[in-house]
Amino acid sequence: MEIRMAKVVVIGSGFAGQTAALYLGSKIGKKHEITVVSNRDVFGYVPSWVWVGMGHMKPEQTIFKLKPVYDRKNIRFVHAAVTEIHPDPGDQYIIETEIGSGQTVRLDYDYLIIASGPFLNYAGTPGLGPENGYTHSICTLPHAVKARDAYLALCERMRKGEKVKIVVGTGHPLATCQGAAFEYLVNIHKDLLKKGLRDKADLLWLSNEPELGDFGVNGVQIKRNGHILRSEEFIRSVFNDHGIRYQVQTGVTKVEEGKIYWQNYQGEEGVTEFDFAMLIPQFKGQPFKYIGKDGSDVSSKLVNPAGFVVVDAIYGLSYEELAQTPEAWPARYQNPNYPNIFAAGIAFAPPGPISKPFTNKNNLAITASPPRTGMVSGMIGRVVAMNVIDLIEKGSMTHEERMSEMVVACIASMGDSLWDGNAVTIVMRPVVPNRKKYHNEYGRDLFISHLEMGLAGAWMKFMLHHTFIWKFKGLPGWTLIPE
Amino acid sequence: MSGSQEFSKAEKFWMSFKLYQLWRFIVLSIKVYIAAVQSKWK
Repeated sequence: MEIRMAKVVVIGSGFAGQTAALYLGSKIGKKHEITVVSNRDVFGYVPSWVWVGMGHMKPEQTIFKLKPVYDRKNIRFVHAAVTEIHPDPGDQYIIETEIGSGQTVRLDYDYLIIASGPFLNYAGTPGLGPENGYTHSICTLPHAVKARDAYLALCERMRKGEKVKIVVGTGHPLATCQGAAFEYLVNIHKDLLKKGLRDKADLLWLSNEPELGDFGVNGVQIKRNGHILRSEEFIRSVFNDHGIRYQVQTGVTKVEEGKIYWQNYQGEEGVTEFDFAMLIPQFKGQPFKYIGKDGSDVSSKLVNPAGFVVVDAIYGLSYEELAQTPEAWPARYQNPNYPNIFAAGIAFAPPGPISKPFTNKNNLAITASPPRTGMVSGMIGRVVAMNVIDLIEKGSMTHEERMSEMVVACIASMGDSLWDGNAVTIVMRPVVPNRKKYHNEYGRDLFISHLEMGLAGAWMKFMLHHTFIWKFKGLPGWTLIPE
Repeated sequence: MSGSQEFSKAEKFWMSFKLYQLWRFIVLSIKVYIAAVQSKWK
């Protein structure tokens, strides 16, 4: 049987998009047309931007050019920003505007993988962000560089004897990615210690988590010496040990120069002053236009109100129902209305929060949104790519992995030194508690799940930086390195 | 740390004792690798 050449388009080149593209290019790139469309022409290793954001790593050490990698892997690269998706059968294409020439181009597809990452919704919090606001971010490389410059300028002020207030955490009541913010804060602590400036800074963790160490995943629980150790007490110990103040259950509502306005679970309103703040914005889906054959808006068939792509999840369950329904989490990340459209990484719409949601008496929802970055993104990228390959070659899908089954490892460094660095190593199975499989109140595999702090974590973080950049370059043996 | 909400001196010692940390590095690397590879064959 002769197989027609299929056109597969991947939007985005982050962890999910790059993983998907590498699998597709390596396995079917010679027989089929694989195209990556991205508004960046470089891959950025996001986990190391924490170090860029404080001047411990050069930006160029965290990026590499995409085109040479794609040329080796039989992948076509289009450096463009996608503006429209036309999903109706018979005439399926995307419209993109090429970076540089500004030319608008149509690109047909048979299979579309949306791995476009988050739209950073700074506008969701007035005064937030490095471009039109007063706070910093490490969510993009230019932002991390800007944060670095501001942080180093702050260090100069401290050297002259000035005492400063540094606030790190979440900048929106529904923000996610608390792990990255936590890592940035403890790195600042370590850096100031080394510079002999720690006594000049008041460090505050300001977060929308229901409790310390929640990280948007309902915390981490492990069994140690016969007892259950929770990330809440572990992170509390880290903060107490480092003299870092903390304030959780808090949603930031507005920022002015030197002032963060917030509300907490009790509905109290308050103001926190700062000299330097790094606050993670709300993540939304990319604002593409979804247009039907007749020119109508078909967004409701593809994305939820926040712009995330609807996939094979069970939506609409209450938090309590969702907590008891691990199969509500998607397995194949396939849109139910357009089966040839998949979403990977942050782009897919989760069926609900993992952390306990809360709405205060002023009707402000303060809930840590589910993280889908790093290892989770990479795994989903692989599952989606393998299923697209299955569909092209066999006509049916054989791969699936839910977040309620996935094991992930996260390492939050505290300094980058291989001699006296430190890091918290977290292994969690599964990401989303699965009480049907793991019969304990946490719904986690307490044998595999792990929480540990020490120099070994700093070595692992260093090793992961290099092995993952090797992997994402598709260099020999890249498939042996897990996502 | 258990219950004290701060790391003890002994815990801090082990966190930075390099021979012990080399052992932990090996153990953690194997644990993370095996766990991650399990998911790869799904």
